[in-house]
Amino acid sequence: MSAPELNSIPISARIQTIRRLTADTALFRLQLDGDRTFPFIPGQFVQLSVPGGGEVPISPADLPAVDGTIELCVRRFGHVTSLLHRSRTGDRVGIRGPFGNGFPVDAMAGKDVLLLAGGLGIAPLRSLLFHLLRHRSDIRSLTLMYGAREPAVMLFKDELLELATTGSLRLLLTVDFLSDTGQAEPACNVGLLPALLKGVQLEPGRSCAAVCGPPALYRCTIDELLLAGVAEDDIYLSLERRMKCGVGLCCHCAVGQLLCCCEGPVFSYRDIKNIPGAL
Amino acid sequence: MKQRFLADNALGQFLDWLTHYGVLHGPTRTAEGVDAFGPVQTESDLCLDYRRTLIPPKKYLLPPRQTILNYTTAAGYTLPDRPAPQQVLFGVHSCDLQGIAYLDRVFLGDRPDQLYRRYRNALTLVGLSCEPDPFCFCASSEKAPRNADLFLQRLEHGFIVSAETTRGKGMLAGLEPLLTEIEAIPPPPVESRMMIRLRNAAERGSTFPDSPLWENFAARCLSCGACSVCCPTCYCFDVLEHGALDGMTAERLREWDNCLFRAHGEVAGGHNFRPTRRERFLYRYLHKYLGFGALAGVPACVGCGRCRVVCPVAIDLTELFAEGDDVCA
Ligand SMILES: Cc1cc2nc3c(=O)[nH]c(=O)nc-3n(C[C@H](O)[C@H](O)[C@H](O)COP(=O)(O)OP(=O)(O)OC[C@H]3O[C@@H](n4cnc5c(N)ncnc54)[C@H](O)[C@@H]3O)c2cc1C
Ligand code: SF4
Ligand code: SF4
Ligand code: FES
Repeated sequence: MSAPELNSIPISARIQTIRRLTADTALFRLQLDGDRTFPFIPGQFVQLSVPGGGEVPISPADLPAVDGTIELCVRRFGHVTSLLHRSRTGDRVGIRGPFGNGFPVDAMAGKDVLLLAGGLGIAPLRSLLFHLLRHRSDIRSLTLMYGAREPAVMLFKDELLELATTGSLRLLLTVDFLSDTGQAEPACNVGLLPALLKGVQLEPGRSCAAVCGPPALYRCTIDELLLAGVAEDDIYLSLERRMKCGVGLCCHCAVGQLLCCCEGPVFSYRDIKNIPGAL
Repeated sequence: MKQRFLADNALGQFLDWLTHYGVLHGPTRTAEGVDAFGPVQTESDLCLDYRRTLIPPKKYLLPPRQTILNYTTAAGYTLPDRPAPQQVLFGVHSCDLQGIAYLDRVFLGDRPDQLYRRYRNALTLVGLSCEPDPFCFCASSEKAPRNADLFLQRLEHGFIVSAETTRGKGMLAGLEPLLTEIEAIPPPPVESRMMIRLRNAAERGSTFPDSPLWENFAARCLSCGACSVCCPTCYCFDVLEHGALDGMTAERLREWDNCLFRAHGEVAGGHNFRPTRRERFLYRYLHKYLGFGALAGVPACVGCGRCRVVCPVAIDLTELFAEGDDVCA
């Protein structure tokens, strides 16, 4: 199949495993037909088809695998994602892509790298995190700040805590509030994500930040990041838009004159700061 | 200058001959008095002196609702194998030809859309010169855009016929028995002042940020979407999927969407990136006059005037161009 066809016709895949993470979020590992591999850059997205339901943009949560699988972390939101959550292992889905630009991993070389994830934003940043850990010696330091609404919906917590024990990752977790029954967890702050950035001082030009989360997260973290010394060019924001085609045709996803599916979804703060309504 | 000439009395034969290339469609006037491109059986079905149709020719390339993929459990997702209908669209004015040229740039660019290509290849275009009215403002009302297979320039007793594409050159050769030769000078192209203003604004990259017209438009607009439905270069689409009850097959469709509608900028969870009419106007403005993505910097408006005609509350985005422009103060 030629490249343009891959862009427009979903290739078949089967759900290999489903790992429930929270009440509404699960990790789906898909096996692509013909054991084909599916290379992508962390931060790129795929269009996932659930037959009879439709298609949704999802960013892979793992690194590209050599065994022809791909891992997606999906929250049950509406029509298509609910149908996916009702699927069982062995069921068929479709994949198109990868689309978009992904995070500029090469530009992170030699820098202090800060990953800021809010809620489900951890999914694409987990892929980036794995990439950076694999090439850990290319960057100076690695910090992940991850905020969830409450302890029960914090994703990948054990896995992240374990990665942090190796010393190659500084991990800061926070929850907006404690659930009624919830105990204060060790190694977890209570408060909003931007609070973790208070007092942090980084070297301009030698630091960068990748941010992914709900729209409100961007508005409240950018000032803190700039204060901390991260240059506008080095703040990478992964933006969500309504994506229907993924290939620059349906025109639902423009940010200013930029098409989020092609020129994004990752933009530097400098590129979009003057675009009304971008954030 | 020597030109190939089709006399008025040979038009009927010419139309017959065109059916070799596909089912003939052209400008007609419906029983309700609406000008529309539709099937044409005989010369008398044609409305040759039409100004503009309500719906532009994009409907021949991007049907309002189109199956883009079929799904079966056995074969997965596949392109529908139904071929596109072979059609000849007769009587297309310059502005609409330019509209088609713009759609070609979008759908046959870096990531060509296979269904569009199928429909485009099956469509033969016969252009026709026009008489501008106060609503139109195209770049040139007389020059034949390069994408018409044949272009007919109206004279008093017939038409100068020229071929603009490889297909058209082949057609012209076959058409010889119906043609004569005349000495004629095609009229010089006229460029409208509005189009010059529009280009200047596009070159400045102006979004008219301070214009009070935005609030004025936003307050009047009914969000009916007529202006995009009738625009020859508005192509944005929604994608829908319908599963059959047996759970074994499904059909994916694309259908015309509209950036003036509220849901256009909504994402899961209900957040809307363009909740207000003002923002949706700006979105349409940006796309139409300044361009998105790979076509940023290429104005999409071809000056057909349809949006100015159809708006029930007389909103005219081109009023913005009169502002801040020294060419036509
Ligand atoms: C680049 C990108 C990466 C994403 N990564 C993830 C991820 O890793 N995990 C995850 O759970 N979610 C992710 N999302 C969000 C996810 O795409 C939406 O939750 C999903 O589209 C909701 O679809 P639905 O049918 O369940 O919801 P509904 O609200 O019922 O949606 C109805 C229709 O609207 C469309 N729609 C709704 N929201 C969006 C949207 N944001 N983008 C495009 N179409 C939309 C759907 O295609 C669907 O046809 C991502 C979104 C983007 C843009
Ligand atoms: S914006 Fe209006 S005048 Fe311009 S091409 Fe579209 S319908 Fe015609
Ligand atoms: S036609 Fe007029 S009222 Fe309708 S959406 Fe367009 S500008 Fe608004
Ligand atoms: S998702 Fe269709 S243009 Fe970007």
